[in-house]
Amino acid sequence: MSTENKAMAPPAAAAPDPLEAPFPSRRMMINLGPSHPAMHGTVRSVVELDGETITDLKLDIGFLHRGFEKSCEQVTWTQVFPYTDRLNYVSSVMNNVGFALAVEKLCKIDIPDRAKYLRTITSELHRMCDHLTLVGALGLELGAMTVLIYAMEARDFLWDRLTEICGARLTSNYVRVGGVSRDAPEGWQDKVLATLDRAAELRGEIDKLITRNRIFLDRTRGVAAVPRADAVDLGFTGPCLRASGEPYDVRKAAPYLVYDRVEFDIPVGANGDNFDRYAVRMEELAQSDRIVRQCFEQLPPGDIAIDDVRYVLPPKPEVYGTIEGVMAHFKIIMEGIKVPAGEAYSYTEAANGELGFYLVSDGGGRPYKIGVRAPGWPMTAALGHMVKGALLADLVPTFDTINMIGGEVEQ
Amino acid sequence: MADETKPPATAAVPPKPPGPPPPRNPGMVTCTVDGREVVVKPGTSVIEAAKHVGVEIPYYCYHKRLSIAASCRMCLVEMSNAPGGKLMPACQMPVAEGVTVKTDTPRVRDQQRATLEFLLLNHPVDCPICDQAGECKLQDYYMKFDRAPSRLDMDKNEKGKRVGLGPLVVLDQERCILCTRCVRFMREVAKAPQLGVALRGTRSVITTFPGQPLDSPYSGNVVDICPVGALTSTDFRFRGRVWFMSSARSVCAGCARGCNTFLDYLSETTYRYRPRENEAVNQEWMCDDGRISYKALNQERVIRARVGRGGALGPRAAAAEEAARVLRERAEARTLAALFSPLASLEDVLAAARLASEGLGLGEVYLGGRRDGWQDDFLKKADENPNRRGLELAARAFGLRIRPFADLVRDIESGAVKAVWAVGAEIPDPHAAAAFGKLEAFVCQAYNDGPVAKAATVLLPASPHAEMDGTFVNFQGRAQRFELAYWPRGDSRPHWALAAELGRLLGLPFRWQDARELFAELSPRLEGALGDFQWDSLPSVPRRKGLLPIAAGTVDGRLPGYRERVPFDVGEDAARALSRTS
Repeated sequence: MSTENKAMAPPAAAAPDPLEAPFPSRRMMINLGPSHPAMHGTVRSVVELDGETITDLKLDIGFLHRGFEKSCEQVTWTQVFPYTDRLNYVSSVMNNVGFALAVEKLCKIDIPDRAKYLRTITSELHRMCDHLTLVGALGLELGAMTVLIYAMEARDFLWDRLTEICGARLTSNYVRVGGVSRDAPEGWQDKVLATLDRAAELRGEIDKLITRNRIFLDRTRGVAAVPRADAVDLGFTGPCLRASGEPYDVRKAAPYLVYDRVEFDIPVGANGDNFDRYAVRMEELAQSDRIVRQCFEQLPPGDIAIDDVRYVLPPKPEVYGTIEGVMAHFKIIMEGIKVPAGEAYSYTEAANGELGFYLVSDGGGRPYKIGVRAPGWPMTAALGHMVKGALLADLVPTFDTINMIGGEVEQ
Repeated sequence: MADETKPPATAAVPPKPPGPPPPRNPGMVTCTVDGREVVVKPGTSVIEAAKHVGVEIPYYCYHKRLSIAASCRMCLVEMSNAPGGKLMPACQMPVAEGVTVKTDTPRVRDQQRATLEFLLLNHPVDCPICDQAGECKLQDYYMKFDRAPSRLDMDKNEKGKRVGLGPLVVLDQERCILCTRCVRFMREVAKAPQLGVALRGTRSVITTFPGQPLDSPYSGNVVDICPVGALTSTDFRFRGRVWFMSSARSVCAGCARGCNTFLDYLSETTYRYRPRENEAVNQEWMCDDGRISYKALNQERVIRARVGRGGALGPRAAAAEEAARVLRERAEARTLAALFSPLASLEDVLAAARLASEGLGLGEVYLGGRRDGWQDDFLKKADENPNRRGLELAARAFGLRIRPFADLVRDIESGAVKAVWAVGAEIPDPHAAAAFGKLEAFVCQAYNDGPVAKAATVLLPASPHAEMDGTFVNFQGRAQRFELAYWPRGDSRPHWALAAELGRLLGLPFRWQDARELFAELSPRLEGALGDFQWDSLPSVPRRKGLLPIAAGTVDGRLPGYRERVPFDVGEDAARALSRTS
């Protein structure tokens, strides 16, 4: 590790303060979680304390492990989508998109423009939901309950819009190989734009409440700082990497869907501390807002999925009325779409960073192997390193700003 | 000089057309399929030649064991020696030296698409109610070679929906694509030309002659070779969906031929047999009696033990202890006889023979089994027991003399035999069942409940061949392996496991964990009677641990439903739960 890292460690042998009372202290191990109201999800952290100072932390994950990768090998390619919903369940459409792009890379298919825009819009809405959850929870953990209430209000409005297009708040299962499952309902665009206005208002309220708040600043600035070089070394991606000053975003570095057709900025932080991670997310909320509005301006009419019965179910009248339709439907449902044999790695910018899907197909209707690069994993692995020397009270807010989601980290 | 000016005599002869090129591989024909060189015997069809290099040419009417009809037009390919550059039927055209075959050109693809469009034009929208769905060539080829939506804007042709052709076969004339495979099979293989095509053009239908049903004992095969859902089995119709079923490689236990089969099962029920290819035994056919003989695997099974005639069903362990006690006592009194059934596998009778000779001190066994039935010169043998040769080998290996069943009845009547240990409750004479009721003690290991099993004083539940790994030795002396489809039902165990349990209770070192171990230990006693047979010869090609995918018939090449085998040692409830599909 670099030298800055050593600077973070508690001063070991400073000159004794004459006023300091020499209380004998001993190391204490405490368990935080797995079932603790302050922990995000079901995670156990074993904290070694010297007084209030964290000297070591071991994170015990796995309480949400459900064999995602192995489960996917048992079902058809299309049936994997509901499983991907449960990776980062706060922003499920982005997982859908990541998986669909990987399969489409193997199949070498390009989807209609309208489907690309719809995927982008729903992805960005879900990115906002994810960031709002984080910001709200951070406020809550630092004593600002109102922030949570405002963030939840904005998030619920966004979730309502997502429900209107895909039928679920959380587990969207919206994307399909070759397109998306449904078109935007009548009047949806206006409702989304109104929702964005309201969300922007609430975001402004949150900003006014905490961004310059003295307590908030004292509790977040300089806490769990990760220098840029360390963040790169540790494999950070997403907002946590950008908060450390590295302007890497897959949407810019390797544009997919329509990210090369819309204008947006990549916010970066300076210190990589909890405040920067908060601030980057606040700015990304505004940038997502920008992207969605541009997408609606550019949204073309047309198909929402490719017209190829190898990948997409034929329309229902054809299924019920013609033998060709019913056979295509039968083969896709019973055997799954046939993905050409080969392997592919495809990566997208999810709410927490680079979400990668590594797929191997043997040419059959089910995945031969799926590997997921969970964006939250490097940050989760680095948590012990980040909080060493910090106070116990800072553990929970730090845990929030790295935004570990058990669903994706534990797969 | 004059001679010099004379033109050569050969010049007057007109030049011959160039003859066929000399074969590059003498005795063989060398041609090119899709850019890959193929060397095959003269007379090989293009379809078979293409298979050699892994090129799939689609077909419906072609069948390698039937004559060529070339009527479905699905296999048309481009050949360099085609007159006028026409597309040629790959099933009918033999390969020729130096010919280039192309199966993937736009012309061929367009022809395949057009053929499928015509075949599907009048095909009813039946997949959801069709038994063939999931193993249907129309579905497969549509997704591979057509994929175009319907262009039909008028009503479909209507024909007979359920025409009963015979006791085992129902015809749906609307689904039929008139490939005439069934007609040719009945004429050429079954040697009973009971099917034909009647009427002309779009009215053509497959039919029997008036008043003459399709009642050949091999009629069930037409269901297997029908590439679409036109011919369905009255026995399997509407009973299960094939993509939920799994297949085990098995052997028919209906007669001494031992036709190789796929045993299709779901959870703990066998649904059908399909013939499995074995050139030396059954080619790829089987008889109707064998085809429905799977029912014995499901019906009236003994799955719990019983002590005392008319006693309550109970746990096997207690019954086995009682059986061991009875056997020891009666063997010491020299009033015990052993009755072996040739329905039991080779492993079963090896274990039982060892127990009889070494544990019970017997010098002879009586031979049970089913009585003789009909036979013909094609597949069916009169001896309806699958393992008579195996039983004879096992008895000889352990020095047991085989005595006919009639002797046992006589000995029981005379009082010389007061107790019987039966491995299998099948007997050739149904009237003799009453004799077993007179026995003082009757330990019976039975698959199915029947008059003999009812006479048992100790009844032990045995597992038939669907529930075990084992071997049958057919009438040719050919040992044929079959594999476990599902774990033993209820409290039942294979005969060999029951014999081993009894043997252990009698103090013998029977420690086999599975049939493979047993065979490895006891087969040297057979002294090479099985030739070069290897117990592990049933080739397994697991793509996933614990799974044996079978390409034929099952969707996707994997076992449908994707169930794993359940370990032998788990509790019964857990085993059932694990093997359940939904």
